[in-house]
Amino acid sequence: MSRTPWLLVAAPMALLLVFFVVPNALLLSTSFLKSEAQTLTGELTLENYGFLFSKPIYQWAFARTFIVGASVGLLCVLLGYPLAYFLVRTKSRWKGVLIALSLAPLLASVVVRTYGWYIILNRFGVANDLLLNMGLIHERIAFMPSTGAIIIGLAHALLPYTVLTIMGSLNGINPNLEQAAMSLGASRTRTFFHVVLPLSLPGIAGGFILAFSIAISAYATPAILGGPATQVMATAIYGFMTQLLDWSIGAALAVVLIVSSVLLLYAASRIGAKQAAI
Amino acid sequence: MKRRDLLKRGAALAVAAPYVITARSQETLIVNTQGGEYQELVERVVIRPFEKKFGVRVVHDATGTASQDYAKIRAARGAPGFDVAGLLTPPEVILGVKEGFLEKLTEREVPNLKYLWDKTWQVIPGGSGAPHTLQYAALVYHKEKIERPRSWADYWEPQKRYGDKIKGHVINYNPANLLSVYALIHGAQLGGGGVDNMEPAWARLKAQKPYVGVVVTGSAEAVPHFENGQVWISPYWSGRSGYYIDRGLPFEMLIPQEGVIGLFDVACVPVGAKNKKLAYEFLNWRLDKEVQRQWALAYFTSPTRSDVTDLPAKFAASQIVTREQMAKTQFPDSDVIGARRKDWTLKWQEIMA
Repeated sequence: MSRTPWLLVAAPMALLLVFFVVPNALLLSTSFLKSEAQTLTGELTLENYGFLFSKPIYQWAFARTFIVGASVGLLCVLLGYPLAYFLVRTKSRWKGVLIALSLAPLLASVVVRTYGWYIILNRFGVANDLLLNMGLIHERIAFMPSTGAIIIGLAHALLPYTVLTIMGSLNGINPNLEQAAMSLGASRTRTFFHVVLPLSLPGIAGGFILAFSIAISAYATPAILGGPATQVMATAIYGFMTQLLDWSIGAALAVVLIVSSVLLLYAASRIGAKQAAI
Repeated sequence: MKRRDLLKRGAALAVAAPYVITARSQETLIVNTQGGEYQELVERVVIRPFEKKFGVRVVHDATGTASQDYAKIRAARGAPGFDVAGLLTPPEVILGVKEGFLEKLTEREVPNLKYLWDKTWQVIPGGSGAPHTLQYAALVYHKEKIERPRSWADYWEPQKRYGDKIKGHVINYNPANLLSVYALIHGAQLGGGGVDNMEPAWARLKAQKPYVGVVVTGSAEAVPHFENGQVWISPYWSGRSGYYIDRGLPFEMLIPQEGVIGLFDVACVPVGAKNKKLAYEFLNWRLDKEVQRQWALAYFTSPTRSDVTDLPAKFAASQIVTREQMAKTQFPDSDVIGARRKDWTLKWQEIMA
C-alpha cells in the first residue's frame, strides 16, 4: 500500500494530537485531581464529579444547557426552514440580494447582536416600554436574566447557519421529483410533506445538530442574557477556571459537557442518517 | 539561490534567533495592567514617564482581570508572556506565593518597598509583590433618586429605608468579584457575623433579592446601569467611583458608618518573566513618591506609601492617607477568602438563581 495517503494526513493528525487530544487528556486527568484551597494536589479523587452531581445549581446548569441547545436547534429549524425554502424556490431577480440579507447577521459580532437583545429585553428596555405604553402590562417584567432570553439570543445568532445547511439540502433535490408527484395528482401540500420534506431531512438534521452543538458550548450570549445567576455549563466552567481558580471542578464540568454532548450528537446523527436512508 | 545555501542561511538564522530575541528583550518590558477607560490614564501617568526615564519600551497588555491574569500565570507555569502582572489582588498574590509562581521581592530589588504602610505585609505575604494602589469598597448612590444612605443596612435592606420605589434599582455582584465578597462581609457583620460566619449575609441576600434589578460580575459592567439610571444604590470601588463621579455621573460616594474594607492592587513578577531586572525597576517606579502621588490623584485612589502627605485636603478626606484612616480600614484575611470563595459563590448562586 502506498505511503502517500498517510503522509498527507500526518500533518493534520499531528496538529490534532498536539492541540486537541493532549489538552483533552490533560483536562480529563485534572478532573480526577483533588483541589485544596484553589490549589491542585496530586491526590486522585472522584469528589469533583460528586460535588457537581450533588449540587442542584450545577444539575440545573447541566439541564439548562441541553434545554437551551434543543430549544435553539428546534427554533432555528422551524424559523429557518420556511426561509430556506423561499430562498431556494424564489424566481425573483433579487434572489441574490435576499440570500445576502438573510445571512447579513453573520457580519456583526455575536456580542453586538446579543447586546441588541439586551437593549430590547432588559427591565427598562424597549419591550417593557412598548407593553407598558400599550397598556398590556402595569408593572415592568424581568424578561432577563432568564433561560428564555438566552434561547432567543442564540436562536437569532445561529439562524443563518441553519438556513445555509437546509438550503444546501433543498438545492440538492431534483425539481423533476416534485413535478412528477404533482403530475400524478398530488397537491402542493401533499408534495411538500411526502416528497420535499423527507428528502430535505438530512439538511434539517444537519442544521439542528449545528445549532445545537454551537448553542451548548456558547459562552458570550448566556453570559450577557443569562448573567451570573442563570448559568449554563460554559459560563460555569469559565467561572471555575478563571474566576474561582478551582481547576479540578472546572475540568470535571468540562469533561461532563464534552462527553454528554458527543453522545447526544452521535445519537442525533444516527437518527438523522436513519431518516435519510428511509 | 541554491537549496544548500538556503538551508545554510536558515540554520544560521535559527541559531541566531534566541540571541536576537534576548537582545531585544533587554530593553522591552511587557506589562499587564489596567485597560478600558484606564488604559490612557496608566500609560500617561506611569508607563510613558517610565519609558522616558529609562530609555526602554513598554508593551502594555491591557487584557484580563486579576483572576484571569493569575489563571494565565498558572496555565503557563509562571511564564505567561508578560514580565509584570500589574493588577493582582491579595487572594491571587497569596495563591501565587503558595504555588511558587511569583518572584519574592526584597528591598534590594525594589528599594521603595521600605516606604509602604506597615499593615501591608499583614494583608499579603512579605515581599510577594509591590502594592501600588489602595482603594476600598465604598457605597455609592444616585443623588437625584434617593436620599443619602448612612449604613450598609441601607444597601442590604433597601426597602426599610427607601420603600417600594427602590424595587429593581439595586445591583448585586457575583462573588467572583471581590467587591461582592466585601459587601457580603459587611452584610454578615450587620448581623454579628464576618468571614467566619456568613449566615447573616445570606439572610440579607435573600431579603434583598426582590429589590435587585441588575446582577453582574465585573465592576465595569455596572457602569452602563449607573449611567442609564437603572441602578440607584451599589457597593463600588472608591477609585472607579471617584473617576466616574468626576466625569459627571450623578452619584455620590460615601463611607458608611460601619466603615469600609480596603483593597491593594499589587504588581508582581512571575517566576518565568523574561526581563526581571527591568520588571523590578518598573515595580520600584510604581512606588516612587511622585508617581504614587500623581497616580492617586488621577485614579482617585490612595497611595500605598505612608509618606505621601501633600494631597489636596478635599481629596485626602475621602482616601486612606493617615494612620487613623488606615487603622479604621478593615483588611479581612485574604487566605480565608480564597479558601471559602467557592462555597460562598455556590451559596450566592443558590440564592440568586
